[in-house]
Amino acid sequence: MDFILQLVTDPVAFYQTHTVLIAQVGINSILASSMFLVLYSGQLSLAAPGFMAIGAYTAVLMGLYWNTPLAVNILGGTLLAGAVGLLVGLPVLRLRGVFLAIATIGFIEALTEGVILNLPITGEGLGLKNPSADPLTGINLILISVAAVIFIVWRLTRGRLGRAWAAIRQDELAALSQGIHVARYKMIAFVLSALLAGFAGGLESHLNFYVDPNEYGVTRTVQVLTFAVLGGAGNVLGPVVGALFLTSLPEIVRIPSFDPRDVISGVILIVVIIFRPQGIVGRGGLAIIRPRWWPRPNRASSAAQAG
Amino acid sequence: MLLRLDSLQRHFGGVKAVDGVSLEIDKGSIFGLIGPNGAGKTTLVNVVTGYVRTQSGQAFLEKDHLTGLPPHRIAGLGIARTFQNIRLFPDLSALENVMIGMHTRLRDDTVVQLATLPFLRRDQRARVNDAHRLMETVGLDASEVGKRSAGELPYGDQRRLEIARALALSPRLLILDEPAAGMNPTEKQGMRELIERLNRDGLTILLIDHDMRLVMGVCRQVAVLNFGRKIADGDPEAVSADATVIKAYLGTGGEKEVAHAPGTIEVNQLQRAAQVRSSRVVEPEKALLDVQDMWVSYGAINAVRGVSLRVGAGEVVALIGANGAGKSTILNALSGLVPIASGTAVFGNLDLTNAKPSTIVARGLVQVPEGREILGRQTVLENLELATWSRRDRVAARREVEAIMGRFPILGERRALRASTLSGGERQLLAIARGLLARPKLLLLDEPSLGLAPQMVDEVFAAIAEIHRDGTTILLVEQNALRALGIADRAYVLETGQIQLTGGGQDLLHNPAVRQAYLGG
Repeated sequence: MDFILQLVTDPVAFYQTHTVLIAQVGINSILASSMFLVLYSGQLSLAAPGFMAIGAYTAVLMGLYWNTPLAVNILGGTLLAGAVGLLVGLPVLRLRGVFLAIATIGFIEALTEGVILNLPITGEGLGLKNPSADPLTGINLILISVAAVIFIVWRLTRGRLGRAWAAIRQDELAALSQGIHVARYKMIAFVLSALLAGFAGGLESHLNFYVDPNEYGVTRTVQVLTFAVLGGAGNVLGPVVGALFLTSLPEIVRIPSFDPRDVISGVILIVVIIFRPQGIVGRGGLAIIRPRWWPRPNRASSAAQAG
Repeated sequence: MLLRLDSLQRHFGGVKAVDGVSLEIDKGSIFGLIGPNGAGKTTLVNVVTGYVRTQSGQAFLEKDHLTGLPPHRIAGLGIARTFQNIRLFPDLSALENVMIGMHTRLRDDTVVQLATLPFLRRDQRARVNDAHRLMETVGLDASEVGKRSAGELPYGDQRRLEIARALALSPRLLILDEPAAGMNPTEKQGMRELIERLNRDGLTILLIDHDMRLVMGVCRQVAVLNFGRKIADGDPEAVSADATVIKAYLGTGGEKEVAHAPGTIEVNQLQRAAQVRSSRVVEPEKALLDVQDMWVSYGAINAVRGVSLRVGAGEVVALIGANGAGKSTILNALSGLVPIASGTAVFGNLDLTNAKPSTIVARGLVQVPEGREILGRQTVLENLELATWSRRDRVAARREVEAIMGRFPILGERRALRASTLSGGERQLLAIARGLLARPKLLLLDEPSLGLAPQMVDEVFAAIAEIHRDGTTILLVEQNALRALGIADRAYVLETGQIQLTGGGQDLLHNPAVRQAYLGG
């Protein structure tokens, strides 16, 4: 309980003592936004950790070999992840539902087992040392990025693009009958999702002195999916809240010589699925924490924003 | 001319779903497309809208070539459609549904959205007003309905909302696939007025519906499909008087009766023989099955509205009526597959209103379902053996299976074949045989002739007559009215969930009201 107490009473000290945790929450939030984009467009893609790996390795390798500045490294990792996303998406997006999920897991496995663990340049199974890593200075960049990513994704879901995604998620055939180029819009969501995951990977690589190939496997996939299930996938804030909660959980509940994270997150997940299947946040976004007395936007203007 | 179809063709395996159909729809008209169940109407719509690829033939919307285009391109060219089983985006608000319909008309606004520029809010408000106006056009109260999830709306409103969404495309042609399905007469009248109003405002409409009164009432031009072919077209009067159309709707009797339509039919030998056999034309005093004032609903739709009927031991009773009249629903309710909303239904001394399906079967009320749900990957023999799995006495069960294969020799011949390799008629026989193995006191047959070629229909009906001779009571649901009335002692004519007529099979055969129930005359 010290954790929450400190957060409330002394935020500055909290920020200083938990910088690494806050950074990790931020990275996971970006990853959660990446997951949100594919889910919002009705695609059960689990490929995010793969694109994250591409972003991380590319950023570190660019720094090692070309000595380029951090921003360029991260941008490079992000763009390469997006490009790979486009190539992977071409064949894979013909699949739906659980078949897409399996194919994207296949992509992750092929990437880690087939490429990363076998290339000398990626350090094979040993991982990659990153001497220029700096866990503390990256935090501001991460926090700004998180805010920007959430804002961008939120705005995207509100326009014509977001409506097309929602339509595809609800009923692909009906979306076609409204003149929506379903394949194209799915691809846009998939590539954007890959870009965000690559971006998160690049940021994360800057935090750690070591890029560990095991970080980007199926375990991470399940974790990211859990963010979305717990928070809800109807609004970008859902997965972000899920990421915030699950990432800080081990700090909130601290028991010596026992890591209760998996047990507790498992129990919470079951409770949420049973009692609030739309996720903690659901479709309403911030409305869930908006107090009753807070002035509500009237119908016309909220509808206008929806448009 | 707005839409021109030139000998479109689409086969699925051996089934000719659309078989060389040519049509021309004039600009500004309401064109009706009708035909019995399984005639290929929806497949034709799916071919025109690009959901199903055509195998040959061409389609044009004015000068635009439609063949080979994907559905979203065809929608973009200006063909909007609704779906037979409503396909809204259920979790999105009604307003969002309509705004998605504007997709092709709007420019991409991603940059605008990201910049959240204030002057563009005005633009958005204009779109919302557009959507509201469309909702008002179809008769929805936009301020009340707009913010609600589409899936929560009452059924009739969902139908209207789907039309509003289609209108949002600003289509050149609007295709309505059974817009009045499942509606009560008042709602149907409202739908009819809406269709006429949209047409007066200059919209060309292709209307598909089973309700002949609606189609014949609003359309100036009608085409009739049967087995994938266009069998007639012209103005409604001509089409509803057309002998081939009447035959397609009411079905055909035995080979000898084919040329005759009801009302003009001569009493031929076959029927005379039947008349001698069936003398009982009134409801029996002591009934095996006694249904009083039964109501069945699917959500907001009342599919069966206050039906009372009786079946006496040893009778063959037919339940006839056009597609969507509620025939199959009655059977499903009696079998316990669909809950009975109110009224009573008693079988022997079993109250069917709250009995479990398994109990109902065990007491001897056995349904042979429409679509003959046989196990395609199992052999004929395995299918039959499965029907006896609960019997203790395996030897006797075995004998019974052999006996049933003796009665239907074709099944005996095919015993080792997978059931999926059987023809439609053979499958129907297998389904009936399986039903008989459950030792029914009352056998419910649901559309045994559905989709069968005429010779197979003969065979199936011969089998039904034989089962009846052996003493099984039968309640038969059929769209093929002539056939059903030919073998039934008594019949009930169902229209939109209510019994309109009842009487002896032979009396109804000559009653012009029967034809009306089907063709709406």
